[in-house]
Amino acid sequence: MNTMVKHTVKLTPNYLEVNGKRVAETVAGESFLTKLYRLYNMEYPKFFKMDVLCKVGFVASEVLLGTEGGERFVPRSDRAVLLFNRHSSLHADSTFQHTIANPDEFYPSPSVFVYTLPNIVTGEIAIRNKYQGESSFILLPEKSEEAMDQAVARAFMDRETTSVLTGWVEAVSETEYEVEMELRMKNDE
Amino acid sequence: MRPKVVITGMGVVSALGVGAERHVLALRSGKSGIAEVRFLPTKHHEFPVGEAPFHNEEFRRKLNLPEGRRYSRTSLLGIAALREALAQGRLLDRQVLALISGTTVGGMDVTEQFFPKPVPDLDRDIHDCGASTNDIADNCGDFDHVSTVSTACSSAMNALIMGKLLIENGERDIVVAGGAEALSLFHLNGFKSLMILDTQCCRPFDKMRAGLNLGEGAAYLVLESEASAKARGAGIIGVVSGVGNACDAHHQTASSENGEGAYLAMSQALLDAGLSSSDIDYVNAHGTGTPNNDASESAALRRVFGEHLPPVSSTKSYTGHTTSASGSIEAVFCLMALQNGFIPVQPEFENPDEQCVTPVSGSNAVSADLRHVMCNAFGFGGNDSSIILSRYE
Amino acid sequence: MELTEELKTKMIEALNLEEMTPADIDDNAPLFGDEGLGLDSIDVLELIVLLERNYGIKIADPKQGKEIFASVRTMADYVAANRTK
Repeated sequence: MNTMVKHTVKLTPNYLEVNGKRVAETVAGESFLTKLYRLYNMEYPKFFKMDVLCKVGFVASEVLLGTEGGERFVPRSDRAVLLFNRHSSLHADSTFQHTIANPDEFYPSPSVFVYTLPNIVTGEIAIRNKYQGESSFILLPEKSEEAMDQAVARAFMDRETTSVLTGWVEAVSETEYEVEMELRMKNDE
Repeated sequence: MRPKVVITGMGVVSALGVGAERHVLALRSGKSGIAEVRFLPTKHHEFPVGEAPFHNEEFRRKLNLPEGRRYSRTSLLGIAALREALAQGRLLDRQVLALISGTTVGGMDVTEQFFPKPVPDLDRDIHDCGASTNDIADNCGDFDHVSTVSTACSSAMNALIMGKLLIENGERDIVVAGGAEALSLFHLNGFKSLMILDTQCCRPFDKMRAGLNLGEGAAYLVLESEASAKARGAGIIGVVSGVGNACDAHHQTASSENGEGAYLAMSQALLDAGLSSSDIDYVNAHGTGTPNNDASESAALRRVFGEHLPPVSSTKSYTGHTTSASGSIEAVFCLMALQNGFIPVQPEFENPDEQCVTPVSGSNAVSADLRHVMCNAFGFGGNDSSIILSRYE
Repeated sequence: MELTEELKTKMIEALNLEEMTPADIDDNAPLFGDEGLGLDSIDVLELIVLLERNYGIKIADPKQGKEIFASVRTMADYVAANRTK
């Protein structure tokens, strides 16, 4: 399958890059993700309810899709969302485990539990953008371009899929994360 | 021309027992495996569960696994099911196999034995989802490709879908795919916090339904190109005719009222199979027993099938909701139904609900000549999937 | 602090309503649906935990939540009548 990368976004705790260009950097003492949320006028209060994995995936996808331009938030099923990482939803898992660790303070939090699934980040992106195509979250033993390329190639085998929002979305804490996200298009378009 | 993807082996573990034979017996005679909790160290005995029949040490012994290290329960269930599938597929000695497995709980049961103390280094290596798949693979055969799908309760079905695509893409002749998931305190308490656990046996599609029962288990299918299966003389037990994966894009956990994601997944599976809805002889529904899922899935089923709804049932009334493993476990049940000519019934069903489809109920399985069956698995995140399995002819 | 104000503060914290202050929430405005705060089914569950944790109130059936959490006012009335701590 002949495909091409249309736009890329890289997000780390220190900077944000769009199509290889650095567009924002963090300043000590601020929440970089909240800053980007406001800088890009995302206006989606659900953002504040998300765990860190969803937050980084959401922010990166917003920047990426804003860069793509065009009409958004119209239901479509020709775009797949396919994300990868190594540590699944580790940060939310540990937050939730804390809510059930002490028998005297035993209040499992439903809103934290929801985020103990890594694929909620693909779901959040799909909900925000009304994407009803394929969505999957795949865990890899390590970041591997080859394995990710293979999975994206398979997603394109679905005759409905003409583009894939894909990439590596890893977040193990509020200050340790790495996102490399891109839009891949079928070449004949 | 896409290669036809056939099934040449299967293995399964659930509350109904270890191995295909026990499952066929239980499904035919309408015997549920849901009972009071025995092995999971929880105080919540008010919620019935579908536990696999042995404790970890007994599983370890039966599987002849070496002592002196810890095994997560997900691994133990997975090893039992995978070995059965490889044996039936006559692949036990084969090298360089591909495994795709779905799980979300992974080795959480091991980690929570220590929490909040840190997990010892040795055991930390079996905590995460990918590590638990590797552990299963390492104890069953020689795999050169192992990947893990984590899309909540549709994980194992999405593993099957990925497997089919790998073969159709010509990347592999044989892919072993499925999923494994053990019960954990982590998700029992999580589902309790979502207030969707029933204190009775779950009653999918029943007007009085009050939630799901959690279950555990594993199942793997040997997927293979027809040419490869014929060339090596493997027994063919069914065909993966069509697959569909769509996103409900509605809410993190709740399903949309009109079941849009489910509708799209089932429609895509039909399209992929080149079948029309009237070709489907039975639907093994996702049917968890929660008020929301069953109403939403029913709306979707009515949209797909219109007036001509085939027989529908949810086998979660036998196994509980085996979460990430449910897609492959229920796919195995569909193969059993195809092979043996029966439709599993829901033994606990009493009260039809106008919001829902009415499932096949009774005390014994209903005999039926089946050619094409559909199996659904939907997950939080709106990850909805559907596959169509057919008799090989 | 008045119970309604206390509930608003706790709600904002528990539901991560980051960009809101108690003054933004009207006592009688609906909490769910498009007109009000737009809370969802997970928020209901989180509010149930909030009542148990802070006021010792156990709610077994989430369907009850619809009435109890109609507005901050109905929630305050329910807490005042049923609190055990």
